[in-house]
Amino acid sequence: MENRKIVHIDMDAFFASVEQRDKPEYRAMPVIVGGAPDKRGVVAACSYEARKYGIRSAMSSARASRLCPQAIFLRPRFEAYRQVSADIQTIFKTFTHLVEPLSLDEAYLDVSACTQYGGSATRIAEAIKSMIKQATDLTASAGVSYNKFLAKIASDMDKPDGLYVITPAQGQAFIENLAIGKFYGIGKATEAKMQALGIHNGADLKRWKQQDLTARFGKAGNYYYDIARGIDQRPVINTRLRKSLGSETTFENDLADKDDMLASLQELAQKVLRGLQAKQLLARTVTIKVKYEDFALVTRSITLEQPFNDMRTLLPILPQLLNKTDVAQRRVRLLGVSVSNLMKDDESNGYDQIALL
Amino acid sequence: MKFSILREDLLPALQTVNGVVERRQTLPILSNLLLNARQDCISLTASDMEVELTMETENAVDSIGEVTLPARKLLDICRALPDEARINVNIVGDRVLLTSGKSRFTLSTLPAQEYPLIEINENIADFKISQSNLKALLDRTAFAMAQQDVRYYLNGLLFELEGDRLRAVATDGHRLALCDTVVKSDQQTLIQIIIPRKGVMELLRLLHEGDDDILVQISKNHIRIKLGLIQFTSKLIDGKFPDYVKVIPAEAENYVIADKELLRQSLTRASILSNEKYKGVRIILEKDKLRALTHNPEQEEAEEEIEVSYSGEELEIGFNVSYLLDALSHIKTEKVQITMIDPSSSCLILPDGPSKTKYVVMPMRL
Repeated sequence: MENRKIVHIDMDAFFASVEQRDKPEYRAMPVIVGGAPDKRGVVAACSYEARKYGIRSAMSSARASRLCPQAIFLRPRFEAYRQVSADIQTIFKTFTHLVEPLSLDEAYLDVSACTQYGGSATRIAEAIKSMIKQATDLTASAGVSYNKFLAKIASDMDKPDGLYVITPAQGQAFIENLAIGKFYGIGKATEAKMQALGIHNGADLKRWKQQDLTARFGKAGNYYYDIARGIDQRPVINTRLRKSLGSETTFENDLADKDDMLASLQELAQKVLRGLQAKQLLARTVTIKVKYEDFALVTRSITLEQPFNDMRTLLPILPQLLNKTDVAQRRVRLLGVSVSNLMKDDESNGYDQIALL
Repeated sequence: MKFSILREDLLPALQTVNGVVERRQTLPILSNLLLNARQDCISLTASDMEVELTMETENAVDSIGEVTLPARKLLDICRALPDEARINVNIVGDRVLLTSGKSRFTLSTLPAQEYPLIEINENIADFKISQSNLKALLDRTAFAMAQQDVRYYLNGLLFELEGDRLRAVATDGHRLALCDTVVKSDQQTLIQIIIPRKGVMELLRLLHEGDDDILVQISKNHIRIKLGLIQFTSKLIDGKFPDYVKVIPAEAENYVIADKELLRQSLTRASILSNEKYKGVRIILEKDKLRALTHNPEQEEAEEEIEVSYSGEELEIGFNVSYLLDALSHIKTEKVQITMIDPSSSCLILPDGPSKTKYVVMPMRL
């Protein structure tokens, strides 16, 4: 597995760049795509000019506006982004069918078997970048390495319009010097926990025994143990079965009434079930997500014996799950419903457990 | 409160009650243990408001008192101390000071008065049962309980007491397990209670083989069991258990008699190539022959055949193979008796000979 050639392509400031491309008057200006600052939305993407003010995606629009009052706020135009996404997918497919899209603007490519450009992954990445530029007038950054973990980190090293290569010979030293917060899969909370344990970079992480990592971090400990050694065997999967499907909504005004919350959950559930049915999937797990007024977030879930995609099954479960939260005492800012443990509907064809009761 | 105790005397109680402590508690005091020191006796209590466990340990006490302190940390400290260590426990202000040799630990506390002990009003029934009988009763039925069913009354075990007969019934809506046993009781009217899943699993962990009689007390909302130094209390599920009697088929004339272990082993092999999620198996009955067929989405197939005693009509019925295996694994006799009627009627699995255990499995349309 360690002689694979993986390319990770990531469009630069994607939504914001598309907006600047289509609206030349906003070029070289701080552009924010997302919710309006006087509403309760968040930043979905921001241009590099906006990032200079410390604005980051997922930040509340109100905060972004305080950081940069002259910023230009735009509503997202998903149709335009989807068009670009389709264009870059077409480019990827001219090199390999082993393309794993992570989102509209990001994908892994396994180019191990490619013969173009003498089989050089670096030159393939260069070619992809220039083809994207030509076709869409947008820039992308590429990371090239021997597994997904390192390719993903590499694409982030030289942004924007970057190309960064981590060869198998460089891999070990690169990881050892990498700050722990830069590791993909180590978020803010885990980073703080690791810093407290004296793990500041890859070299520190590598000193930990596997059993000690799993004792501290559970199953994720195995992943941390492997990536500290540059080991990431995950293949590039082109036909990924969806893992979950969900929908959520942030309210203009926090909800205090339980009936209002239930009504909202039912509406969200309808939407999720329509998605399930459209994709011919069944689910076994349903999760509700509640964000309280103080931004504290909880989820409650239940896994059923029988796979479902109908409202009749879901309807009585929603109040049960809601009752397991503190909504009686606390106001609610956001609600979400998602389903997981998915399977193809046709797989269940012909298996019908008869009920005893 | 002040006492000194050997690590080996404290550890069993700590380990026994700690299983009840939930990792994710909404009420901070529930991640604590209630420690009570009275004349020559120390007791530890853990609770998640549904199940409560108390264990007593005989030990000298210098000064009595009670307090709550972090369950997990106390257990970890005691585990990590060397064998035969003597642990001194002392309340200092609002902290508990634990010392042993040259080790010192200061633990935070919460007031004992705030600990939510389960309060039991009047008993409505009680009975005595030998420990091994109660264990066998739970062993043979608990596996069929529902896990997280929307029909919350299925996420537990039914206890039905009438005269000196105690019956346990569990069902997840697809299969059912029933077992009867004899107890010492003068209960005349029929009583039905549902013990929640967590309580049943906890109780199973506490029970051992033994002829000693244990006292079971039932109140309107709780069941309490005294097991030597341990007191187990569980809330009951407030709901009506479905009418299980009507789903148990009568024994028909044409049943299968099979070698239980032979059948279990061949179904185990067949299950390897059944659909991972649905676990379907096709059972084909012919004269003195039982065949089991499975296949999966990868088009892999398994076929097993065993000799049985059967003279009824030829039948082909689909089942969830896990349900059949669960039942067979809990049957202790050498032979097993299986009644199958048709592809949409429930199937009855019984141990050979006179028995108080019954398993019912509903077919699957394949």
